[in-house]
Amino acid sequence: MDRRTALRALAGAAAVPLLTPDLHALGRSVHAAALHRAKQVLDPHQDATVTAISDLIIPATDTPGAKAAKVCDFVDVLLTDWYEPKERDALLAGIADVDARAHTAFGKDFVDGTPAQQTALLTLLDEESVSWHDMPKASRGAEPFYHKMKWLTLYGYYTSEIGAEQEDHFEIIPGAYRACIPVHGPAAPTPGGM
Amino acid sequence: MSKVYDAIVVGSGMTGGWAAKELTEHGLDTLVLEAGRMITPEHDYVEHVPVWEKRYRGLNDPKTINANQPVQKECYACDEWSSKFFVNDIENPYTTEEGKPFLWLRGRQVGGRSIMWGRQVYRWSDLDFEANARDGYGVDWPIRYADIAPWYDYVETFIGISGEALGLPQLPDGKFLKPMDMNCGETMVKEAIAKQFKDRVMTIGRCAVLTENHNGRAACHYCGYCERGCITRSYFNSINATLPAAQATGKMTLRPFSVAHSLIYDKKRNRVTGVRVIDAETKHAIEFRAKLVFLCASTLESARLLLNSATPDHPNGLANASGEVGHNIMDHIMGGGASGKIDAPEDKTSSGRRPNGIYVPRFRNITDGPTSQFLRGFGYQGGAWRDGWGRGADLPGFGAAFKTSLRDPGPWRMDFYGFGECLPRHENYVEIDKTKNDAWGIPVLKMHVTYGDNEWALMKDASMAASEMLAAAGAHDIEPYIDHNPPGKAIHEMGSARMGKDPKTSVLNAHNQAWEIPNLFITDGSCMASTACVNPSITYMALTARAANYAVDLLKRREL
Repeated sequence: MDRRTALRALAGAAAVPLLTPDLHALGRSVHAAALHRAKQVLDPHQDATVTAISDLIIPATDTPGAKAAKVCDFVDVLLTDWYEPKERDALLAGIADVDARAHTAFGKDFVDGTPAQQTALLTLLDEESVSWHDMPKASRGAEPFYHKMKWLTLYGYYTSEIGAEQEDHFEIIPGAYRACIPVHGPAAPTPGGM
Repeated sequence: MSKVYDAIVVGSGMTGGWAAKELTEHGLDTLVLEAGRMITPEHDYVEHVPVWEKRYRGLNDPKTINANQPVQKECYACDEWSSKFFVNDIENPYTTEEGKPFLWLRGRQVGGRSIMWGRQVYRWSDLDFEANARDGYGVDWPIRYADIAPWYDYVETFIGISGEALGLPQLPDGKFLKPMDMNCGETMVKEAIAKQFKDRVMTIGRCAVLTENHNGRAACHYCGYCERGCITRSYFNSINATLPAAQATGKMTLRPFSVAHSLIYDKKRNRVTGVRVIDAETKHAIEFRAKLVFLCASTLESARLLLNSATPDHPNGLANASGEVGHNIMDHIMGGGASGKIDAPEDKTSSGRRPNGIYVPRFRNITDGPTSQFLRGFGYQGGAWRDGWGRGADLPGFGAAFKTSLRDPGPWRMDFYGFGECLPRHENYVEIDKTKNDAWGIPVLKMHVTYGDNEWALMKDASMAASEMLAAAGAHDIEPYIDHNPPGKAIHEMGSARMGKDPKTSVLNAHNQAWEIPNLFITDGSCMASTACVNPSITYMALTARAANYAVDLLKRREL
């Protein structure tokens, strides 16, 4: 059921103004533009590195992964005009640092490593990130690049159309509030929250 | 000679809509002046625009918002969808006394802040109306629960309130549609509280969101983002309900882009005769005339209007012989509370986004004489939920198994967030700042408002008592907290033209009528002589409907 049909069905006897088709057309065109945007900040190598890391964190399974959901585009948008210059530079330096670590570990850029080499390095970064998070806030120092990258991947993925609808079963119009239902029941969409 | 309306209503939001509805339904030719633009639901409401269609995916556009809305952005609802419903702070400045921060969160458009309000609806009781008389802060209310009860009934019946009747003396029941349901975590906590605390009860929030079709408006479809508008008109705002009712009479003229500058006063007749307006688009000054004026512009805007209406005979502003206009500013202090993990069923969750939480009515100082180290009391809003995918950033792992693990919801959590009563104190005031004008050349307000020891004591106890309830429910990792929010943050500002029994110490009589100027009524939050600890909008609406009907009677009897 599309949104307008759903709304009309829900409205019952009540008079409901219909959504204008224009509004949805506008939404779609904005979205389409976002899907095909050229990168503003990430160069092709940085883009490939971000794509590779994000897709290792959230790979395609029975649903598409971070690469299909274009997490790299979301990261590029934030780098373009959301982050302060200092934060942007730190993130770009973090991408470069992954390559430095890759060269030490297996003598190549991250993207040129084998899946096993990439996974091994990411495992190390992941452990460092968790240890950092578990330290007392006052003494743990700056957020590691990978921790930020992992959050960006999750946020970018689950707020994408693919991630929200296919993986998280986000429904724009749930139609009802079911207060207490089995997690693994027949129709148990997740609440769509963080 | 321009047209003389029967009535002018300044403001089209929560109370302006009610004044417009009541006055027009009684046949009065009514002009509604709104400072902001027209809102067209089909084009302006954005509750169904999904997050992936927003450039920053709900993280907001920092450059634009920091430049234009450095104050408004402090409100949770001023986000990538709804920031358009909040004012531009550059066009609408105000000043504050050094060391006394104040947040003035505002919506200037048809519908005002009723578009983005929190929708919680709780009646006052005589515990609240008698509070000032009991402890001596402020002045005694000129009304009691019996005076307003029929008007609560009337307003609630029209707008539709969902909730559970409890029979509590401190929180009277209303005309309720069926209540929303608690999730399994909330039910567990509610039962623990019922078992372990004689004085406390947890209920589902009472809210102006329809759980059933009502008066031509559809039941909620649980999309969850009421503050972005509602195309099915399932929550109450003035655009959805009161203004259409006024429009249907054929008696309402609604004029957007009309920034009220000051009131026109006829000294000889001692009446206001109209309103001076700056057209927001042309910046031209225009005058509108009426037999009767209702100020429904919001607590601080109505005070500003009275103060900016000073004449040589009224150098301190109109209706201000008492000197109380702009004084006794209050806002609910909020943010004393606690959260924790609860052991609710791992195999249970909920679906749909319920635009409502739970409520714990006031339980401190509800019997005779203070029993706490502070005066008055607080209530809690809150709720239980399960962590979602966002928790993954701090969990170990990545890859297919990690992704699959995030499909199941995370730990259950419960939060109680306190809202406390603020004492009326003369020294909390606003005045005209003659050194600064807004974008329409109108002098702005300077705020001098702080919370006192009693308010902070309330929050301290609210945090402690919330932790107690969580512990009683078997919660672990309990985190008590006190948010140090500046006044204004709760957006429940009140008191700038209080009602009272004595013209020497109050601005309005028992019918929201200015003591000094019989054809001037003020029915927004200005009129409040105290704050109680519950959300105030329903009380403003009931007082507005009551005052409008009173004014119509006077007009018909030619006593205005």
